[in-house]
Amino acid sequence: MNAALLVLGLCPAIAMTDTVIHSVWISAGLLLVSVLSTLARRILRAVPTGDRGPADGPGLIAALCVSSVLTAGFEAGLLAVSPEASTSIGIYAPLIAVNVLAVGEPLPSGATPARSVVGAVGRGLGLGAALILIALVRETLGAGTITLFPVGAFKGTIVISALVDEPVRALGLAGGALLCLGYLAGVLQAIGGARQRAGAGGEKP
Amino acid sequence: MSGAQTSPALHPQSAPHLRVGMSTRRMTWLAVASLVPALGFGLALFGIPGLVVVGVSIGSALLAELATTLPFRRFTLADGSALLTGLIVGLLLPAGAPVYVPAAASAFGILVIKQSFGGLGRNWMNPAMGGVLFATVSWPGPASWSIPPLGGAAGPAAPPLEALRSAVSAAGPHGATPLAALDKAGYAFSSLDASAIDWINAHLLAPVGLAFNHGALDVLVGHVPGAIGASAPLLVLGAAYLLRRRVIRWQLPVIYLASFAVLSLAAGGLASGGGWLAGGPGFHLLSGNIVLAAFYAASDPVTSPLTRTGRWVLGISLGALTFLMRYFGSWGDGAAAAIVLGNCLTPLLDQWTSHRPGAAPKGAA
Repeated sequence: MNAALLVLGLCPAIAMTDTVIHSVWISAGLLLVSVLSTLARRILRAVPTGDRGPADGPGLIAALCVSSVLTAGFEAGLLAVSPEASTSIGIYAPLIAVNVLAVGEPLPSGATPARSVVGAVGRGLGLGAALILIALVRETLGAGTITLFPVGAFKGTIVISALVDEPVRALGLAGGALLCLGYLAGVLQAIGGARQRAGAGGEKP
Repeated sequence: MSGAQTSPALHPQSAPHLRVGMSTRRMTWLAVASLVPALGFGLALFGIPGLVVVGVSIGSALLAELATTLPFRRFTLADGSALLTGLIVGLLLPAGAPVYVPAAASAFGILVIKQSFGGLGRNWMNPAMGGVLFATVSWPGPASWSIPPLGGAAGPAAPPLEALRSAVSAAGPHGATPLAALDKAGYAFSSLDASAIDWINAHLLAPVGLAFNHGALDVLVGHVPGAIGASAPLLVLGAAYLLRRRVIRWQLPVIYLASFAVLSLAAGGLASGGGWLAGGPGFHLLSGNIVLAAFYAASDPVTSPLTRTGRWVLGISLGALTFLMRYFGSWGDGAAAAIVLGNCLTPLLDQWTSHRPGAAPKGAA
């Protein structure tokens, strides 16, 4: 993993997990762009498309081009569907292009497009679930609210009265995101380790 | 436990592995004992509310330590480290804080800062200071709710440092020393202080043409609203005992306090319009948590540099950071934030200043 890419990948994870709704939108964008760019790179196999991993020179540029185009498409779509979400996500939407590469994983060159897409869906859903989980923890504890979509009479924000007056503001800051991220990674690693020790895990860690 | 060095069997202990002829456990319990005078004075001043804050913070620290060690069938409460962390957290907080503030501060210090990184000796940040900073950032209001001390002036109880800050922002540059500015803003110190200072001024200082401001005595002994463990003389007394027993080393606290005092004296007056060399370093040294922070957190052997050069550099950095955060920041008195940032510098300082075996000595020895 390229460290610079990883740091860029952390950028929206910190900035966009302050409210649940932001993390939902950014996760949707990540899932969409990741699936479509994997498919596109599979189909365009004649050009070097970074299939041996995102950090291999010309392949990286090609992969970045593909995901940038798709990200621009997602931005335009978001602006059409929900202008307010587009405004609040702001600069972090374009960063999806880099995020997709940061979480992308090289597939064996024999993989079929369908198999690659399944992998991309899995990664997109996993990343999205992680971001939404972090946002849920941070917004609930750090602001005392849960911001979702307004549906009918529901204004879109659940207010937790016990926390909203004096929330744990430290978790709402950038450091709170890193803290949640660290503990989430730790828990996942512990689960993975336990599963490996149990010998039941037949899947990739 | 001091048999660790003489008995033939090996007793692996937690870091810090320092050669001081004393076990980590003994050092910790001595530190706890040395805080008892300051704690007693604080409890005498703040009564039941103070006892509640200290009790909750100690209880929360012990519970957090138990909760993280019992699943591994270990019992570490006897090393006194969790008790010390809870005690320092309690002393750093004001007596009017609602119970969730000390509870969360201690729990964060133990669970996140200490145990998540491997427990005693592996924390890279002072647990008490980190916990207090966490609470201060999370609940800036409740974490600074103060009550007037026994015999103090009635009315809204703001610590002198906060009162000074709001006086400066309300009245703008005034060019006065901190205590004079507080006097002008109508800040009330205790009547005991007023009569004592008046007597001293009239009988001792008038002949030589000097005068103390009201409040000097209150600030000196810590008889003001604010943190429970704010009595600088008693804290220094406890620290002197620890220095004598060689539990802590003098360099870091002394350099820290000295660099902070020099900076306060030189540039502290700029913010209040007094110009250079008009900062009132005495007031700033004695108010807030800087004395407790310097002797009980900065000197923590786990999170301070191993080399002498490193300790000098860190001490000066801590003084500068505290100065900057106190005068220009918004998070309390600056000491907790400075210590936490300084702890983050420690590994770098160790790396930069330690002598590598086989390498040529750096500089002119």
